Amino acid sequence: MLFSSVTFLYVFLPVVLVAYLLVPKKAKNHVLLAASLFFYFFGEPVYVSLLIISSLSDFFHSLAIEKCRGTKKAKWLLISSLCVNLAMLGFFKYIDFFIVTFNGLTGLAIPTLNVPLPIGISFFTFQTMSYTIDVYRGNVRAQKNLATMGTFVSLFPQLVAGPIVRYSDIAEELEHREHHLQNVADGIRRFVYGLGKKVLIANAMGELCALFRSSPDQSVLFYWLYAIAFTLQIYFDFSGYSDMAIGLGKMFGFNFPENFDHPYTSRSVTEFWRRWHMTMGGWFRDYVYIPLDGNRCSKWKWLRNILVVWMVTGFWHGAAWNFVLWGLMFGILLLVEKLWLGKWLEKAGNVLPRIYLMFTVIISFVVFNASSLPGVWQDLKGMFGGLNIPLVSAEAVYQLKNFALPIMLAVLGSTFLPNRLVDKIRTVKAGNAIVTVLEPVSIVVLMVLVTACLVDGSFNPFLYFRF
Amino acid sequence: MEKMKNWATIAVFALLIFGLVIAHVIIPDATHSLSERRELSKFPAITADSVFSGDWGTDFEEYLLDHFPGRDGFRTVKAILRYKLLAQKDNNKVFLVGDGIFKMEYPLNENQVVYAAQKFNWIYEKYLQGMRVFYSVIPDKNYFAAAQNGYPALDYDRLYQLMNDNVQNMTYADIRDCLTLSDFYRTDTHWRQECLGKVMEVLAKTMGFSDLLLSMDSFEQHKLSPFKGVYYGQAAMPLKADDLVYLTHSLMANAQTSVQMQEGFPIYATDKFEGMDGYDVFLSGAQSFVEITNPDALTDKELIIFRDSFGSSIAPLFVPYYAKVTLVDIRYTPSSMLDKNIEFADQDVLFLYSTLVLNNGMVLK
Repeated sequence: MLFSSVTFLYVFLPVVLVAYLLVPKKAKNHVLLAASLFFYFFGEPVYVSLLIISSLSDFFHSLAIEKCRGTKKAKWLLISSLCVNLAMLGFFKYIDFFIVTFNGLTGLAIPTLNVPLPIGISFFTFQTMSYTIDVYRGNVRAQKNLATMGTFVSLFPQLVAGPIVRYSDIAEELEHREHHLQNVADGIRRFVYGLGKKVLIANAMGELCALFRSSPDQSVLFYWLYAIAFTLQIYFDFSGYSDMAIGLGKMFGFNFPENFDHPYTSRSVTEFWRRWHMTMGGWFRDYVYIPLDGNRCSKWKWLRNILVVWMVTGFWHGAAWNFVLWGLMFGILLLVEKLWLGKWLEKAGNVLPRIYLMFTVIISFVVFNASSLPGVWQDLKGMFGGLNIPLVSAEAVYQLKNFALPIMLAVLGSTFLPNRLVDKIRTVKAGNAIVTVLEPVSIVVLMVLVTACLVDGSFNPFLYFRF
Repeated sequence: MEKMKNWATIAVFALLIFGLVIAHVIIPDATHSLSERRELSKFPAITADSVFSGDWGTDFEEYLLDHFPGRDGFRTVKAILRYKLLAQKDNNKVFLVGDGIFKMEYPLNENQVVYAAQKFNWIYEKYLQGMRVFYSVIPDKNYFAAAQNGYPALDYDRLYQLMNDNVQNMTYADIRDCLTLSDFYRTDTHWRQECLGKVMEVLAKTMGFSDLLLSMDSFEQHKLSPFKGVYYGQAAMPLKADDLVYLTHSLMANAQTSVQMQEGFPIYATDKFEGMDGYDVFLSGAQSFVEITNPDALTDKELIIFRDSFGSSIAPLFVPYYAKVTLVDIRYTPSSMLDKNIEFADQDVLFLYSTLVLNNGMVLK
């Protein structure tokens, strides 16, 4: 079920909110668990079993690990738990990729299994793995209540596309959480603004990308228009989803970690990855990079660690070589910045580093969104005049005019400017009063506009569901 | 103040999500959408198959969208958002020029145009050899407004060239100069019957009956309004509706119309004006076979028109000159089986298709 669907907004959410409000405190997790399982079942009726298996596996493994703490058995139990999760992820997400690659290397023709990708498997397996690892490390106590554990794994606000919430982030709130007026109102605002980002901006950019892909009237301008549109789409799509997840979490008394912090205002790739998909970056740092010894090792080992982490990061995003290339590209850029470029970027003022960053990011997302490695080459050639196509085409000019304002709004919206403007207005007493009145009004306006777009059947899929 | 704001935020959000879901439950489901000219989906049956395949969820979302309270109003809000707030030039490929509504037809599908031309040739070879066969291509209304206003448009010159290069054994009547934008409905794709005088002049000249041609003034006009054409609902904007005018003539008074081999139909089915498509007034709308026999015709000749929906409104204007006019729509009947319903002899034959259909020529069976 998509957050940006009328089924979610006008059926699922009202019903769950009423049920949640009506039941006593001790039953609230049960309501959330039932709602979350239904939420997942609605979109993945068969694969809900994977979610349950993953939850049960980590629940029992963690209990056993805690019992055997300090013994070798605990390590084997951890390995066993990780194997269950990685086997699920490996089979359901990567099996066909492995078969195709194996066939390519050996010349064999083993048929692919065409296994459909369970929605959100990358997210919930990472969450459960982090839980068991944290129990093994002694960072958290094993959860003894299966329903509470199930609620953590399946919690619908963040189940299918993050943020990647670790057990330690919400362990306390799973047991005892307060429901404040301020939190609920903040949650609604965050949810509706996220919904607006997704439906009004990301979908518009997605429409432009789809128009580009279906157009026979290609040109260099159109390739760049597509590249910029996709760069904006993926940010508003994913950060919009994270906002919705965080907002929903607040409505139900949870405080999920932030996932985005205006990444396109960064001045280097290093900074970009501190602002983009922060929970994933943190996960790879804590559970892959540091266990590999991070930077507390020889230079060559450190370089290896960075490249391994970024290759895995790319591979996590998708079972295709262009994702691996995407990850490696960032790994190399991070190394280059750490070794040479970083110091220059710090002294280079505000403009040049941002141009460098955005150019890099736009190219990276073209690699990311290509259908294959040849597709990457095709798109990059198109952007740099290597396809024997005109610089400008009639349709590109039309679409540029057609989407000029949405693109400008999206660019502005990806910066700090809107927040700073509101903060500035708030410094004046009258301005503060106006903003206070306008906030509820903006909720109504956004909800009406979003509903209008949904009812009109606009372009709607979430990009990050496929990861 | 902060507390009030928070309460207000919660209240408006709750009012919206609970209000709309309650309205959805209370308001009875409609069966049709007049603005979109389609049947609305029904509540999906819950079966193990549909639930476990995930289809039920998709169908349920579709059902909710179809019956959403204030659906047409929300569609208008979306259109205003696109056209006015975001200054976008089209909404779902529908664009506005002045108070006219247009739908983008782009790009040119050369293979489909050639396919259509070859289909004409195939029909000629199979049924029409030795007969007087004519063809003409109706420019859709984008021809007059799309490129001129910066919208992507078909390469019309190329389309006409493809037809002329590929259609064989038929005499071509060029009607492009006989039409202007005002000869089309503002809210619909079609041309206005009362504006086809110049088109009839060119066709009559090409087909050899210009000496009999009646003045358009001799036809009596009948007006039906408001006519909200096919684009009206798609645009979802509060725009002015059209008037639909149909023409009668004393020489058509005794004409008999049969539709799908059944007799007793009128040339102008005015009862259909209030239906899903007001344009269905002309010869009862989309039909594979229509025959109009006219005992008062000025000649005893017969005419077969291979046509699309544009043909429905021009066909009555041929009735005064032909004792029998047969309309065939090979979008709905296979051309390989035409001789089961039509006896091809020495009729005049006219292929009359709009650029919209030719650009999607593979719809021709």
